[in-house]
Amino acid sequence: MVNALSSNLLARGFLALVLLYLYAPIMVIVLFSFTTSPRLSMPIEGLTLAWYKNAFANPLITKALTNSLILAAIAAIGAGLMGAAFAFGVMKLAQPRLRQALLAASLLPAVVPLLVIGISLAVLFHGLGLPQGLRNTAIGHVLVSLPFVVLTMNARLETFDFTTLEAARDLGASSFQTFRDITFPQIRPSIVGAALLAAALSLDEFVVTWFNIGNEQSVPVLVWGLMRRGVDPSINALASMLLFLLVCLVIGSNFIGRRNT
Amino acid sequence: MTATTGTARRWGEAGVVARPLLPASLFYVVFFAVPMLALFVLSFWRANGFVLIPDLTFDNYEKIATSSLYRVLIIRTITVGFITAAIVVPLAFAVSYVMRFVFETRGQVILQLILLSLFSGYLVRIYAWRTILGKQGLLNSTLQWLGLIDRPLEFLIYSNFAIVITLTGLLLPLAVLPIYSAMSNISRDYLEAARDLGAPAHTLIRTILVPMALPGLRTAFAFAFLLAAGDFVTPTLVGGTQSLLIGNVIADQFRGIGSNWPLGAALAFVTIAIVLALYFLVMRLIRWVTTW
Repeated sequence: MVNALSSNLLARGFLALVLLYLYAPIMVIVLFSFTTSPRLSMPIEGLTLAWYKNAFANPLITKALTNSLILAAIAAIGAGLMGAAFAFGVMKLAQPRLRQALLAASLLPAVVPLLVIGISLAVLFHGLGLPQGLRNTAIGHVLVSLPFVVLTMNARLETFDFTTLEAARDLGASSFQTFRDITFPQIRPSIVGAALLAAALSLDEFVVTWFNIGNEQSVPVLVWGLMRRGVDPSINALASMLLFLLVCLVIGSNFIGRRNT
Repeated sequence: MTATTGTARRWGEAGVVARPLLPASLFYVVFFAVPMLALFVLSFWRANGFVLIPDLTFDNYEKIATSSLYRVLIIRTITVGFITAAIVVPLAFAVSYVMRFVFETRGQVILQLILLSLFSGYLVRIYAWRTILGKQGLLNSTLQWLGLIDRPLEFLIYSNFAIVITLTGLLLPLAVLPIYSAMSNISRDYLEAARDLGAPAHTLIRTILVPMALPGLRTAFAFAFLLAAGDFVTPTLVGGTQSLLIGNVIADQFRGIGSNWPLGAALAFVTIAIVLALYFLVMRLIRWVTTW
């Protein structure tokens, strides 16, 4: 009894430490986006919103934000639709071995370092004579989001009742009708959830972007530029806003994706 | 006759089943498989300034094999990747165990929190570690303020230590994902039965938990090792001049002054080959240890 209690406390403490390790960086950035001292050090002297004003005074921010939102929308729609269709197709396959193999193959881009994906795409586009910019970057974002969309869709579809489709077909519905009236309404929340996740991944993507965006801007590219120039407290404000958007998207994705299941 | 229509129909059905697979498959071929192939082909080309010259030369590979700089960088990269994976995988294993077997229902909430951190700010979190570990950063200034140290601890930043700390934080959530999902297939009954029969904790881990979670552990190790070895942002922001990794050099070959794409491509493939070879070696070793 005492033993179980102490091991429970130990487990609790361990998880708390791990969560602190994961979240300390984020908390630090948000905290220091509000402090007056430009240095990130203790003790804290006072609080201010000046760095947020400063961040918006950056002439590049409007452009970066617009581009990032365009990229996120393309990744959400492109990866969301293709990934959902793929996960659905894999589920319907009869042979479990083929199913496993296709699923594993679709997750490959998540195991290859983003650096390698980024440079290989740059090589492809160079070979095709397509100049660097938003178009190339958008394709990269769809590619790196796809594995995560497939993975989440696959998890959600495991509870999907395929017998309703057979019932619809037996009652004479065409395959298009079955999809439109039975399948799609049921999996729509999952698709939207997965698409929001793709948007979050795109909004946060830096490495593939860096090798394909050329002279264009995106929020992470702008943040990178500021980071390399030294300690600028408006980075914290910019980063906090990015974090806020990301957290909203991921929580939204989870919330919507779980509806009806 | 009936046989042919039967086959035709089966193919027709296969076509219908395959249709939703097509767009993503095509996309993967054109923008993942073909670019990898193109990168490989490019590694045998030459560069003259920004002009790429088709060729079939092994010069790039020879340059890598004979250069002590690249050798040092590759060895350092593999060491950092390996140490990171060696910390991340057991840590993720312990986290998954606690979530699965100690806090069954609340485990789900904690899992969501861990996954949320995976999607919250890649660049931002690396930068945050620089501000935490920096010479005048949060940790040093707090310790000095509290009077625990009178001079900043210098090893905290611009070091391999900083790189490993940062990479571990980035990769832990990704490693928890496969290990936790493998563990959710392990029944609590096995553990209780073994415990009732008097098996000590380390026997439980070696004979039940590790073998049954092995597919997840393997994936987690692959994630951690491959992605740590391929990261160049972390060494750029928190590494020092003595802790540049091969990813920095590869990145510079593609986006930097005096860039050389074919050489960068060859460097990427040499690194991938070494990392994959080591990965399979470690997997053999783990299988050997667990079946033993």
